[in-house]
Amino acid sequence: MRTRDWQAMVRWLLSPEAGRVLGMNRRNLGYVYPCNPRRFLPLADDKVLTKEVLVRAGVPVPTTLGIYRHFFELRRLGEDLAPHEEFVIKPARGRGGGGIVVVAGRTGASWTSISNRVLTVAELRRHITDIIFGVYSSELADAALIEERVCQHPELEDLSPLGLADVRVILLRDRPVLAMVRVPTRKSEGRANLHLGGIGIDIDPDTGRTGRALHDRLEVRRHPDTGAVLSGRTVPFWEEVLRVSRMAAEAFPLKYIGIDVSIAGTGPMVLEINARPGLEIQNVTRRCLQALLVKRGEQS
Amino acid sequence: MRWNRDFSFRLVLLALVFLPLTLMGYKIFVLRYPLDVLLPTVSYRVDLSLQVDGHGGDVSVATFLPRSDYRQIIDEGQNSSGTFLFSLDSEGENLVATWTESNFSGHHNILYTFTVSPRYVRYLLPAGLKIPAFYPAAFTPFLESTPGIQVSDPLIEETLQQILPGELPDISTALIAIHRYLQDQIENRDFSGYTDAVTALKLGEASCNGKSRLFAAFARKLHLPARLVGGVILEQGSKRTTHQWVEIYVNGHWVPFDTVNDHFAEIPANFLTLYYGDLVMFRHTPNINFRSLYKTTRTLGPRPELQDSLARSPLTILNLFGLFEQVGISRKLLEIILMLPFGALVTAVLRNVVGLETFGTFLPALIAAAALETGLWWGIFGFLIIILLGAAAQRGLDALQILHAPKMAILFATVIILMLTMTVAGLKLGLIALAHITLFPVAILTLTAERFAQVQAEHSFAAAARRLLMTVLAVAVCYGVMHSSVLKALVLVFPECLLLIIACDLWLGKWVGIRASEFIRFRRLLQKEAP
Repeated sequence: MRTRDWQAMVRWLLSPEAGRVLGMNRRNLGYVYPCNPRRFLPLADDKVLTKEVLVRAGVPVPTTLGIYRHFFELRRLGEDLAPHEEFVIKPARGRGGGGIVVVAGRTGASWTSISNRVLTVAELRRHITDIIFGVYSSELADAALIEERVCQHPELEDLSPLGLADVRVILLRDRPVLAMVRVPTRKSEGRANLHLGGIGIDIDPDTGRTGRALHDRLEVRRHPDTGAVLSGRTVPFWEEVLRVSRMAAEAFPLKYIGIDVSIAGTGPMVLEINARPGLEIQNVTRRCLQALLVKRGEQS
Repeated sequence: MRWNRDFSFRLVLLALVFLPLTLMGYKIFVLRYPLDVLLPTVSYRVDLSLQVDGHGGDVSVATFLPRSDYRQIIDEGQNSSGTFLFSLDSEGENLVATWTESNFSGHHNILYTFTVSPRYVRYLLPAGLKIPAFYPAAFTPFLESTPGIQVSDPLIEETLQQILPGELPDISTALIAIHRYLQDQIENRDFSGYTDAVTALKLGEASCNGKSRLFAAFARKLHLPARLVGGVILEQGSKRTTHQWVEIYVNGHWVPFDTVNDHFAEIPANFLTLYYGDLVMFRHTPNINFRSLYKTTRTLGPRPELQDSLARSPLTILNLFGLFEQVGISRKLLEIILMLPFGALVTAVLRNVVGLETFGTFLPALIAAAALETGLWWGIFGFLIIILLGAAAQRGLDALQILHAPKMAILFATVIILMLTMTVAGLKLGLIALAHITLFPVAILTLTAERFAQVQAEHSFAAAARRLLMTVLAVAVCYGVMHSSVLKALVLVFPECLLLIIACDLWLGKWVGIRASEFIRFRRLLQKEAP
């Protein structure tokens, strides 16, 4: 190694504050730990609790059709679900989209999932039992949340026919800092998470127009499964998306969060709040979070 | 509030650095601890294997075992001779081990293991030293003529006249002349049999024993006490060959000479002394077939003699060994326990500075510690087998859809069965190192197998395998650090180092830099950022 490299290395070890890119260490030490007190973390990790906070604050969320915490409640599952054709079953404390079943229609006494699987009441009951047993949450017990299926805005349905796309907004102290669109693919099995194979698309924060897209860390122009062009589109209700995220953040005691907003035909809805939002958004938007967060900190 | 927290953090950090450094300085500059104690030294583990084939009747096998002296420290002697009765006797200066068995037939392998920490010794012979006219009576045997060392043979005197003409040489001149003569005029031959002094001289060639007897004969003729020494030259690997050299009594010291390998008044560190006198290495009853083998393993280790000299100081951990041994904790185990904080620090650095994603924070350090007996490669091999098969079992159990706690119980049992199987397989296949796999931390391996299966289910096998590979890498780095004899000696002599380790951990806990792996992940952004 040359002297210059050594000097750079020593500088890196001794004054790590210099960079503009946000790394895992600084995300945790500089933002997650001080902004998100441990006692409030369950509010983000448990979807039932998240919803309670959001509904109280008037933030739009998908309508809850039922919550199951105990096995005896499952006896009336058939009657409970009888009026519904489309709904989603989620584990309250699931991770990475595991255990989510999306029901898209009904044939006689049973339902069909979006992957065209026929689901009887007995099968749904069995799945919910698994959720309550904590199979999807690596905990001893969990709750199953049944809510209305969000039918996404036609604009987004065209962009993302393989699952619900969402907008991930990073907020520091209730103000949006950076945002991207996340689009599920066949590889990600309907989930929008980037590390599972979802596509991340940059958004111009002023206009809501989509820009460069990244799939598996490589730049792509088109959706790998459908061929739909990803950039140059307008995210519907963009101003509304930002307003809703701000509202949600104000209602939440956590101050460094990533909010996942999906957009229905009627407007945006908050689906999930993440207390440890990922860093890949920097590669998608090609913007350095640390620099933006520092600027954001100076404003307040 | 904020200032307060920063201030107390700095205060604690300062104390954790300052206190141990002060104590170390006190030990080095005031108590004058020898810093050599930190340098590793070569030591050897010797497995002496004696193979006996008998056909009935009483059997007895005897050989010499080494004793600790001024230049070799013998430790951890261990006999495993099965049904053969083992006994130790002193014969003069020598230690004789005898194994006996009555009415023995069939094949038997006697194993005796010990470690040697030897050192190189060289003597400076002062010029002009006169050969003494009288010695105490105890030296008579070292001046006598024997059937093998024919001091009074005319040929000895005649040759001596040739190589040392003139009257009464001084000791150093005489020994140089004899040494040179044997080194240059008597050719080295690889005989394994017995050669007496005169035969070696007449033939002009001899192996180590003939040369040593001839040296002794010349020396005794000049009225210098001489004795033969038997031993083994320690070299990595297995050998049957033993070695002999000679010692001359000069000015109150027995000074070693080896004219086969040209060592004048010096003895290399790897010469293991086993006995003194013109004796044979192995004696056995004639009713058996007998074979012997010395297997030597060279290792770098701490310096026990220097450590022992420091053991009296209350400021080291060395004096605690005895205490811990009372509860069955061996010195080796204690040493490796003391190294665990180093391993944990290394893992923390690998995770937070390098950015390796490992399974667990302590797992690499624990596996590295457990690999003490298996060695790194067999340790990693066993670790991989257990995790991969354990994870496969977990996936199978997932398919059966059973509850979590019983599932973990089954996985736990599976891991234990796997480990026992590997131990038995290791013993059957003669892979003793692999057999030590049983010492691995079972609970942590079980949890790791579960985590592997989880990552595999949530992401992919490739992701789980990548993580396992990084864990193995961390294990290897931890192993390198934790088995460093310098660090081991450091923490034994300066246990306050553990506070420095905590200080490093603390500093690392506030380090917010970009991880090395993130340099790759965000390279485009970082390139853009650079001026």
